[in-house]
Amino acid sequence: MVNLIAALNISEVAVIGLLVASLQFATLLYLAALGETIAEKSGVLNLGVEGMMAVGAVVGYIAAVSTGSPWIGLLVGGLAGAAAAGVHAVIAVVLGADQVVSGLALTILGLGLANFIGDGYTDDPRRSLFVDLDLPGLSDIPWVGEVVFSATPVTYLAVGLGVATWFALNRTSLGLGLRAVGESASTADAAGHGVTAMRIGAVLIGGLFAGFSGAYLTTTGIVGAWSEGLTAGRGWIAVALVIFGAWRSGRAALGALLFGFTLALRNRLQPFGVEFSPILLSMLPYLLTVLVLIGISIKARHQPSPAPAGLGTPYRREER
Amino acid sequence: MKRAVLRRREQPLRGGQPLAFVLGLLFALLVGAVLLAVAGDPVLETYTRMWDRSFGSAASLSSTFNRAVPLALAGLAVSIAATMGLWNIGAEGQILFGATAATLVGRIGADWPSPVLIVAMLLGAALGGALWALGPGLARAEIGVSEIITTLMLNEVALRLIRYLENGPWKDPDGFGFPQITAKPDGAGLGVLWERTHIGGLIALAVIFGFAWLVNRSVWGYELRLAGASPKTAAYAGVSLRRKVLGVMVLSGAVAGLAGGIELTGTAARLNESISNGYGFAGIVVAALALMRPSGVAVVAVLFGAIQVGGFSIQSLGVSAAVSNILQALILLGAIGAAVLSTHRVVLVDRKVVA
Amino acid sequence: MIQPAVELDGIWKRFPGVIANAGANLTVRPGTVHAVLGENGAGKTTLMNCLAGVYLPDEGQVRIDGVAQRFSSPADALAAGIGMVHQEFRLVPTFTVAENIVLGHAPRILDMAATEAEVANLAERFGFDVEPDRPVWQLSMGERQRVEILKALWRDAKVLVLDEPTAVLTPQEAVELGEVLRRTVAEGRSVIFISHKLDEVVSFCDEATVLRGGKTVASSISVADANASSLAELMVGEASIEPVSVSVSMPGDPALVVKNLSVLDSRGLPAVQDVTFSVRSGEIVGIAGVAGNGQRSLTDAIAGLQPVKSGTIEVMQADVTQASPQRRFRAGLAYIPEDRVGVGLAPKLPATENAMMREYRSLRRGPLLSWTRARDLCDRIINDFEVKIGRRDAPLAGLSGGNLQRLLLGRELSSAPDVVVASQPTRGLDVSGVRAIQRLLVQQRDEGTAVLVVSEDLDELLALADRILVMVEGRVVGAFDARATSRVEIGEAMMGATA
Repeated sequence: MVNLIAALNISEVAVIGLLVASLQFATLLYLAALGETIAEKSGVLNLGVEGMMAVGAVVGYIAAVSTGSPWIGLLVGGLAGAAAAGVHAVIAVVLGADQVVSGLALTILGLGLANFIGDGYTDDPRRSLFVDLDLPGLSDIPWVGEVVFSATPVTYLAVGLGVATWFALNRTSLGLGLRAVGESASTADAAGHGVTAMRIGAVLIGGLFAGFSGAYLTTTGIVGAWSEGLTAGRGWIAVALVIFGAWRSGRAALGALLFGFTLALRNRLQPFGVEFSPILLSMLPYLLTVLVLIGISIKARHQPSPAPAGLGTPYRREER
Repeated sequence: MKRAVLRRREQPLRGGQPLAFVLGLLFALLVGAVLLAVAGDPVLETYTRMWDRSFGSAASLSSTFNRAVPLALAGLAVSIAATMGLWNIGAEGQILFGATAATLVGRIGADWPSPVLIVAMLLGAALGGALWALGPGLARAEIGVSEIITTLMLNEVALRLIRYLENGPWKDPDGFGFPQITAKPDGAGLGVLWERTHIGGLIALAVIFGFAWLVNRSVWGYELRLAGASPKTAAYAGVSLRRKVLGVMVLSGAVAGLAGGIELTGTAARLNESISNGYGFAGIVVAALALMRPSGVAVVAVLFGAIQVGGFSIQSLGVSAAVSNILQALILLGAIGAAVLSTHRVVLVDRKVVA
Repeated sequence: MIQPAVELDGIWKRFPGVIANAGANLTVRPGTVHAVLGENGAGKTTLMNCLAGVYLPDEGQVRIDGVAQRFSSPADALAAGIGMVHQEFRLVPTFTVAENIVLGHAPRILDMAATEAEVANLAERFGFDVEPDRPVWQLSMGERQRVEILKALWRDAKVLVLDEPTAVLTPQEAVELGEVLRRTVAEGRSVIFISHKLDEVVSFCDEATVLRGGKTVASSISVADANASSLAELMVGEASIEPVSVSVSMPGDPALVVKNLSVLDSRGLPAVQDVTFSVRSGEIVGIAGVAGNGQRSLTDAIAGLQPVKSGTIEVMQADVTQASPQRRFRAGLAYIPEDRVGVGLAPKLPATENAMMREYRSLRRGPLLSWTRARDLCDRIINDFEVKIGRRDAPLAGLSGGNLQRLLLGRELSSAPDVVVASQPTRGLDVSGVRAIQRLLVQQRDEGTAVLVVSEDLDELLALADRILVMVEGRVVGAFDARATSRVEIGEAMMGATA
């Protein structure tokens, strides 16, 4: 492989740079998508991801530079995302209002709040960034080591959260109950699971992770500072990623790597001598998601769709 | 142990929705005031300035109307799709692609006489928007793919399409190296109707009334309302649900595309990615507040136009323009919350009892 | 003295507008399969829901093993050992069998492999096969029912309550169910078997209690000692309503001819099997039979809402087997669907638009509708059929059941059809509404229309119809002259009791 790259006259630095950036973007997308997956598994569609990310980003930045600790920034950013998600939880889950409208309103609100709060921090020179964590031994492996085992702690956190989510959803009775709530809320209710409580919990966790994702933007080298429009539509990619991953945390990770790669290509194609417009390439995640969705719908004629059957439908225990 | 549950009322509260709207407005102003106070901004001065610059003078009012035009059309587009229970979240992309199509027409017919050019560009815009909604419409009608996600995805694609054109094929040679699209032809400017309001306002009104007339008086409109009210009954009556779904999505896209064309010829100097300016999403908010009724959309759009214009104006006070978006979102959230209470009442029941 | 496993003593349960149970009693001895027999509406399911904690009885007492209980939720009843299998299953289709069984009753950390093994063991103990790792959506109705039963047994239910269990089973599956029940009671548990099918009661059950009109009319009859006739009479009783007076009919030529009709239901199972009959002009033919025996698929197929697997349908000598509902309407077939508001009418729309639904294509002037003609049509219907309506442009939603049905009938009949098919036309209406609809149907018959009425109300059919056909499990099993037969005779045929 090394020889191939040398033969093609491509700079090793450029390749590593591309891969590192891919992993960074993948982390960004995966965190948000993982949270949204949990929320959707419980039956709640939350289109407010972009707004929650923005809130997490600005609050995370302020907390990080005020305390000097990116960890605090990450945590507080996550909590801010959860607080934003709380709005959706109240309106869409407790009150049972339309989930699409509520989620979009949350996006508008979140973006607006983030810009409002961030007004004044735009050209702030302060930084409080995560440093790359070299995993002992592993990071010395050529190529792979530099990329995969020498990332920021947030990436390792994302992987850990992904595994924990898989375990919780598939190997615990709480996870079984949550999935039941998303597939058939009345059945879960009859079996004794509290539908409303579980959905609220799932939505808040979704917000927490989206907040982490946003804080990741402002506390690591991927950007590191706050500016308006920082989220740049990546919350929407996360929503797409949930579908692309068929509502599974493992598949979503693979999708995150793929989408992250297309994001990383944006300004990095030059050294590869490729003429193809990176902008057109950046359309790829969205078009791929549409194709996957079409595929899912076609297959759904013969077997159930991987989407939680109750997704988007508010639940109210009916009287006789 | 008692807990509170929501039970559906037999009859919704009369005047519930207008009341919910007002409550939403008050809620938004209240929370907005708190935010401003916490940020150290002058609350009263901010609100007064917003009012002044949106409704306070003829010039302000005319700016407000201009802003209301794309909002109203986007809101109409969303409510058109909603007649069949569909969500067109793609108005942003349809506006952009409509404007792109209009620009294409402008490039071809740059030398045409102005009225001809403008009409052609607007038609092109409507066609462009219709085309952008065709894909999601077909996918939904034929395969049952959720139009929420497909339209959402195409928003981002349209955005990137414009960026591509900006950086490549349509790059302005006179732009000092800055990536932008060449300016629209000189003849492509909408005439002014009153103060600053351009004739886009008339066009928007015509479209709204036209659609209302279509829905109420034509056979197609009857079939549409039947299909939207009760799909099984409509199928029984012989209405093709698939054709209606497709027709409604395409029409919705056309209206949104038209908004893009009006923005291009009315206010913008050239095609750029901020032509949609969030109108697509704001349109959903407008439509939701107007309960998906075209008649209400115009009124709500004017209000939101005012908030947007007002939002711009407070920047000179040192207040972030983001306040306007916050207010818009809060009005909606407050209104939907209040609306639920007009259709449901809160009842205390024994913790475990089911019936 | 061994305490009865279950005692329901003087249970009263009222809902707005209807008394479902009026002092009903039930005593079940441990280790028996006990049938609760009754027609639709007799109060069987309500009574069992009181036992299972779904409803709280207004009066009366529930005793389990002699101890009085108060169930304020299904969880309470489950804890006391009552496991109910409802007619509509409560399963998550995408979950496996094991996941469904264990939902809500599982340890914190799941070891699915071990759980699946335990589920398989449990099933084997009771004599049936399951594949614990199969997703439920792949299972047949019979297999799903087994999962529901396992759910109850997993929670160690001492009393198993099955609501019309064989309604969804093939005959072979029903036999297998019987075996499962035998094994269940062999362990000392009890089974309560709600049914209206006499032959099953005879083959599965040890004792039977009969409900009628919310009351217990016979308690703990030994099935072995009873005979079908006496049981049928207990269930069906004597006529109670004064029939609408009807003159003798003079029928003409066959207007609706159904030949060898077979129809599959929405699940792909045979709902109508090789049915042949005809309805002549100027006669009313009634189809009796407990709901769920194919009547709905039959009428939907005749109206064009359900595709036909084989056979033909002719209206006025024209073959309409493949025709759309509109073509059949134009050929002279009017349909009053069972699903009044779901299919027949659109309640969100006003009366005018509902009235024109069938004929709107003829009310057009180019692409536009002639609203004057539409309004005239609506007014005509409202007047002719005495629909009490406030404003004809207000949504229908507020109208009473009787007025909705009058509007629906009016719309269908205003085109002077040759054949009228009415499915449960008076269900849920008050006395005056029932009378009005019945009078309209008789009027149609007197004017020479061929009328086919499907009804669960035996009295109604005996009063209105000239001939009565009985449908059981998709076949016509009996044809009776309405003037010459009796409730009991038809009741027996309905229960599947062969002569």
